[in-house]
Amino acid sequence: MSFEIDMIFAIILFAIGLYGVTNKADFLRIFFSLEMLLNAVILVLASSAYHFGMTQNLAIAYIVIVIATLEAAAGVLIFLLSNRITKEVIPDKLDEGGKYND
Amino acid sequence: MVSILLLVAVIILAVISITVKKTVPAVLSFALLMFLLGLYYIGYDEKLLGLFQIFVYTGGIVVLVLFGVTVIGSTFPEEKSRPWAVASIVLIAIGFIVIPFIMPNFNVVENAGNVKAQVTVLTENYAEVAIFLAVVGASLLYGSIRMLHTLKHEKELS
Repeated sequence: MSFEIDMIFAIILFAIGLYGVTNKADFLRIFFSLEMLLNAVILVLASSAYHFGMTQNLAIAYIVIVIATLEAAAGVLIFLLSNRITKEVIPDKLDEGGKYND
Repeated sequence: MVSILLLVAVIILAVISITVKKTVPAVLSFALLMFLLGLYYIGYDEKLLGLFQIFVYTGGIVVLVLFGVTVIGSTFPEEKSRPWAVASIVLIAIGFIVIPFIMPNFNVVENAGNVKAQVTVLTENYAEVAIFLAVVGASLLYGSIRMLHTLKHEKELS
Protein backbone atom coordinates (compact mmCIF):
# COMPACT_ATOMS: atom_id res chain seq x y z
CA MET A 1 0.00 0.00 0.00
CA SER A 2 1.62 3.22 -1.09
CA PHE A 3 1.33 6.68 0.35
CA GLU A 4 -0.46 7.94 -2.76
CA ILE A 5 -3.32 5.44 -2.40
CA ASP A 6 -3.71 6.38 1.26
CA MET A 7 -3.75 10.01 0.29
CA ILE A 8 -6.43 9.46 -2.37
CA PHE A 9 -8.68 7.62 0.11
CA ALA A 10 -8.07 10.37 2.68
CA ILE A 11 -9.06 13.01 0.12
CA ILE A 12 -12.26 11.09 -0.68
CA LEU A 13 -13.06 10.87 3.05
CA PHE A 14 -12.30 14.58 3.39
CA ALA A 15 -14.59 15.37 0.44
CA ILE A 16 -17.44 13.35 1.98
CA GLY A 17 -16.94 15.25 5.25
CA LEU A 18 -16.88 18.57 3.42
CA TYR A 19 -20.09 17.64 1.61
CA GLY A 20 -21.74 16.83 4.94
CA VAL A 21 -20.60 20.05 6.60
CA THR A 22 -21.79 22.26 3.74
CA ASN A 23 -24.94 20.41 2.71
CA LYS A 24 -26.52 18.74 5.72
CA ALA A 25 -28.93 20.60 7.92
CA ASP A 26 -28.92 18.91 11.31
CA PHE A 27 -26.30 19.00 14.02
CA LEU A 28 -25.72 15.24 14.20
CA ARG A 29 -24.72 14.77 10.58
CA ILE A 30 -22.60 17.93 10.65
CA PHE A 31 -20.88 16.45 13.68
CA PHE A 32 -20.25 13.15 11.83
CA SER A 33 -18.84 15.12 8.90
CA LEU A 34 -16.50 17.13 11.12
CA GLU A 35 -15.17 13.89 12.61
CA MET A 36 -14.60 12.57 9.07
CA LEU A 37 -12.62 15.69 8.17
CA LEU A 38 -10.40 15.21 11.21
CA ASN A 39 -10.01 11.48 10.51
CA ALA A 40 -8.90 12.16 6.94
CA VAL A 41 -6.14 14.33 8.41
CA ILE A 42 -5.20 11.61 10.91
CA LEU A 43 -5.06 9.06 8.06
CA VAL A 44 -2.59 11.19 6.10
CA LEU A 45 -0.49 11.80 9.22
CA ALA A 46 -0.36 8.09 10.11
CA SER A 47 0.42 7.07 6.55
CA SER A 48 3.26 9.59 6.23
CA ALA A 49 4.64 8.45 9.59
CA TYR A 50 4.69 4.86 8.33
CA HIS A 51 6.02 5.44 4.81
CA PHE A 52 8.52 8.26 5.39
CA GLY A 53 9.47 7.76 9.02
CA MET A 54 8.12 11.16 10.02
CA THR A 55 7.45 10.19 13.62
CA GLN A 56 6.49 13.69 14.73
CA ASN A 57 3.32 13.26 12.69
CA LEU A 58 2.12 10.64 15.17
CA ALA A 59 2.37 13.22 17.96
CA ILE A 60 0.31 15.60 15.82
CA ALA A 61 -2.22 12.80 15.21
CA TYR A 62 -2.66 12.29 18.97
CA ILE A 63 -3.20 16.04 19.39
CA VAL A 64 -5.81 15.95 16.60
CA ILE A 65 -7.64 13.09 18.35
CA VAL A 66 -7.67 15.05 21.62
CA ILE A 67 -9.04 18.10 19.78
CA ALA A 68 -11.72 15.88 18.20
CA THR A 69 -12.74 14.68 21.65
CA LEU A 70 -13.01 18.24 22.94
CA GLU A 71 -14.99 19.17 19.85
CA ALA A 72 -17.36 16.27 20.50
CA ALA A 73 -17.98 17.44 24.05
CA ALA A 74 -18.56 21.04 22.93
CA GLY A 75 -20.73 19.81 20.04
CA VAL A 76 -23.07 17.88 22.32
CA LEU A 77 -23.42 20.95 24.54
CA ILE A 78 -24.35 23.12 21.54
CA PHE A 79 -26.71 20.37 20.39
CA LEU A 80 -28.55 20.26 23.70
CA LEU A 81 -28.63 24.06 24.01
CA SER A 82 -30.12 24.31 20.51
CA ASN A 83 -32.73 21.75 21.48
CA ARG A 84 -33.64 23.77 24.56
CA ILE A 85 -33.88 27.08 22.70
CA THR A 86 -35.65 26.13 19.46
CA LYS A 87 -36.95 22.63 20.28
CA GLU A 88 -35.13 21.45 17.15
CA VAL A 89 -31.59 20.41 16.26
CA ILE A 90 -31.22 22.40 13.04
CA PRO A 91 -28.57 25.16 13.13
CA ASP A 92 -30.45 27.38 10.64
CA LYS A 93 -33.38 27.62 13.06
CA LEU A 94 -31.13 29.35 15.61
CA ASP A 95 -31.11 32.39 13.33
CA GLU A 96 -34.82 32.34 12.65
CA GLY A 97 -36.30 32.16 16.09
CA GLY A 98 -35.94 31.28 19.70
CA LYS A 99 -36.37 33.31 22.82
CA TYR A 100 -33.20 35.39 22.44
CA ASN A 101 -34.11 36.95 19.10
CA ASP A 102 -37.29 38.50 20.39
CA MET B 1 -5.24 -5.97 -0.60
CA VAL B 2 -6.84 -6.19 2.84
CA SER B 3 -5.85 -2.58 3.44
CA ILE B 4 -7.59 -1.41 0.27
CA LEU B 5 -10.71 -3.37 1.24
CA LEU B 6 -10.63 -1.73 4.67
CA LEU B 7 -10.36 1.72 3.15
CA VAL B 8 -13.14 1.01 0.62
CA ALA B 9 -15.34 -0.17 3.50
CA VAL B 10 -14.47 3.05 5.35
CA ILE B 11 -15.59 5.18 2.40
CA ILE B 12 -18.84 3.19 1.97
CA LEU B 13 -19.63 3.49 5.69
CA ALA B 14 -18.89 7.21 5.57
CA VAL B 15 -21.40 7.67 2.75
CA ILE B 16 -23.98 5.56 4.60
CA SER B 17 -23.59 7.49 7.85
CA ILE B 18 -24.12 10.79 6.02
CA THR B 19 -27.02 9.81 3.76
CA VAL B 20 -29.15 7.33 5.70
CA LYS B 21 -32.43 8.71 7.07
CA LYS B 22 -32.55 6.77 10.34
CA THR B 23 -30.36 7.88 13.21
CA VAL B 24 -29.36 4.56 14.76
CA PRO B 25 -27.99 2.99 11.52
CA ALA B 26 -26.07 6.23 10.95
CA VAL B 27 -24.49 6.04 14.40
CA LEU B 28 -23.67 2.32 13.97
CA SER B 29 -22.03 2.87 10.60
CA PHE B 30 -20.07 5.78 12.09
CA ALA B 31 -18.86 3.56 14.92
CA LEU B 32 -17.90 0.77 12.48
CA LEU B 33 -16.08 3.33 10.31
CA MET B 34 -13.95 4.44 13.25
CA PHE B 35 -13.31 0.84 14.30
CA LEU B 36 -12.08 -0.07 10.80
CA LEU B 37 -9.83 2.97 10.73
CA GLY B 38 -8.37 1.86 14.07
CA LEU B 39 -7.76 -1.61 12.62
CA TYR B 40 -6.07 0.02 9.64
CA TYR B 41 -3.66 1.91 11.89
CA ILE B 42 -2.92 -1.28 13.83
CA GLY B 43 -2.11 -2.91 10.47
CA TYR B 44 0.40 -0.11 9.90
CA ASP B 45 2.16 -1.20 13.11
CA GLU B 46 0.98 1.93 14.91
CA LYS B 47 -0.76 0.05 17.69
CA LEU B 48 -1.07 2.91 20.16
CA LEU B 49 -2.70 5.20 17.60
CA GLY B 50 -5.07 2.41 16.51
CA LEU B 51 -6.11 1.54 20.04
CA PHE B 52 -6.45 5.23 20.89
CA GLN B 53 -8.70 5.65 17.84
CA ILE B 54 -10.88 2.67 18.79
CA PHE B 55 -11.17 3.63 22.46
CA VAL B 56 -11.83 7.32 21.88
CA TYR B 57 -14.10 7.17 18.85
CA THR B 58 -16.04 3.92 19.15
CA GLY B 59 -15.98 4.18 22.92
CA GLY B 60 -16.35 7.77 24.00
CA ILE B 61 -17.64 9.82 21.12
CA VAL B 62 -20.27 7.29 19.99
CA VAL B 63 -21.72 7.26 23.49
CA LEU B 64 -21.97 11.07 23.36
CA VAL B 65 -23.68 10.80 19.97
CA LEU B 66 -26.11 8.20 21.29
CA PHE B 67 -26.99 10.68 24.02
CA GLY B 68 -27.79 13.14 21.22
CA VAL B 69 -29.90 10.51 19.45
CA THR B 70 -32.11 10.29 22.52
CA VAL B 71 -32.92 13.97 21.94
CA ILE B 72 -33.74 13.95 18.22
CA GLY B 73 -35.50 10.58 17.99
CA SER B 74 -35.22 7.81 15.42
CA THR B 75 -35.29 9.86 12.20
CA PHE B 76 -33.32 12.87 11.07
CA PRO B 77 -35.28 16.10 10.50
CA GLU B 78 -36.20 17.10 6.94
CA GLU B 79 -33.70 19.20 5.05
CA LYS B 80 -33.50 21.38 1.98
CA SER B 81 -31.71 19.84 -1.01
CA ARG B 82 -28.65 21.71 -2.28
CA PRO B 83 -27.65 20.08 -5.57
CA TRP B 84 -24.77 22.48 -6.23
CA ALA B 85 -22.95 21.17 -3.18
CA VAL B 86 -22.18 17.76 -4.70
CA ALA B 87 -20.67 19.26 -7.85
CA SER B 88 -18.53 21.74 -5.90
CA ILE B 89 -17.27 19.06 -3.50
CA VAL B 90 -16.36 16.74 -6.40
CA LEU B 91 -14.42 19.59 -8.00
CA ILE B 92 -12.61 20.31 -4.73
CA ALA B 93 -11.73 16.62 -4.29
CA ILE B 94 -10.37 16.35 -7.82
CA GLY B 95 -8.34 19.48 -7.19
CA PHE B 96 -6.89 18.02 -3.97
CA ILE B 97 -5.97 14.82 -5.81
CA VAL B 98 -4.42 16.56 -8.81
CA ILE B 99 -2.41 19.29 -7.05
CA PRO B 100 0.18 17.03 -5.30
CA PHE B 101 0.96 15.24 -8.57
CA ILE B 102 1.52 18.41 -10.59
CA MET B 103 3.68 20.05 -7.93
CA PRO B 104 7.39 19.88 -8.78
CA ASN B 105 9.84 18.45 -6.21
CA PHE B 106 7.17 16.79 -4.09
CA ASN B 107 9.73 14.73 -2.24
CA VAL B 108 8.88 14.44 1.43
CA VAL B 109 11.77 12.18 2.40
CA GLU B 110 14.50 14.69 1.57
CA ASN B 111 12.75 17.44 3.47
CA ALA B 112 12.00 15.34 6.52
CA GLY B 113 15.19 16.01 8.51
CA ASN B 114 16.68 13.55 10.94
CA VAL B 115 14.55 11.78 13.50
CA LYS B 116 16.34 13.11 16.57
CA ALA B 117 15.65 16.69 15.55
CA GLN B 118 12.00 15.82 14.99
CA VAL B 119 11.57 14.21 18.41
CA THR B 120 13.01 17.25 20.19
CA VAL B 121 10.43 19.57 18.64
CA LEU B 122 7.96 19.11 21.49
CA THR B 123 10.62 19.28 24.21
CA GLU B 124 12.74 22.23 23.07
CA ASN B 125 10.05 24.35 21.45
CA TYR B 126 7.74 23.99 24.42
CA ALA B 127 6.78 27.66 24.28
CA GLU B 128 4.74 27.08 21.10
CA VAL B 129 3.04 24.05 22.65
CA ALA B 130 2.26 26.07 25.77
CA ILE B 131 0.79 28.89 23.68
CA PHE B 132 -1.31 26.39 21.70
CA LEU B 133 -2.64 24.74 24.85
CA ALA B 134 -3.31 28.16 26.37
CA VAL B 135 -5.36 29.18 23.32
CA VAL B 136 -7.36 25.92 23.47
CA GLY B 137 -7.91 26.33 27.22
CA ALA B 138 -8.94 29.97 26.85
CA SER B 139 -11.42 29.02 24.11
CA LEU B 140 -12.97 26.35 26.31
CA LEU B 141 -13.15 28.76 29.25
CA TYR B 142 -14.77 31.45 27.09
CA GLY B 143 -17.29 28.93 25.71
CA SER B 144 -18.18 27.73 29.22
CA ILE B 145 -18.67 31.29 30.48
CA ARG B 146 -20.83 32.18 27.47
CA MET B 147 -22.94 29.06 27.98
CA LEU B 148 -23.45 29.83 31.66
CA HIS B 149 -24.41 33.40 30.74
CA THR B 150 -26.91 32.13 28.16
CA LEU B 151 -28.45 29.67 30.62
CA LYS B 152 -28.74 32.43 33.23
CA HIS B 153 -30.40 34.70 30.67
CA GLU B 154 -32.83 31.94 29.76
CA LYS B 155 -33.69 31.43 33.43
CA GLU B 156 -34.36 35.15 33.85
CA LEU B 157 -36.67 35.16 30.82
CA SER B 158 -38.73 32.19 31.97
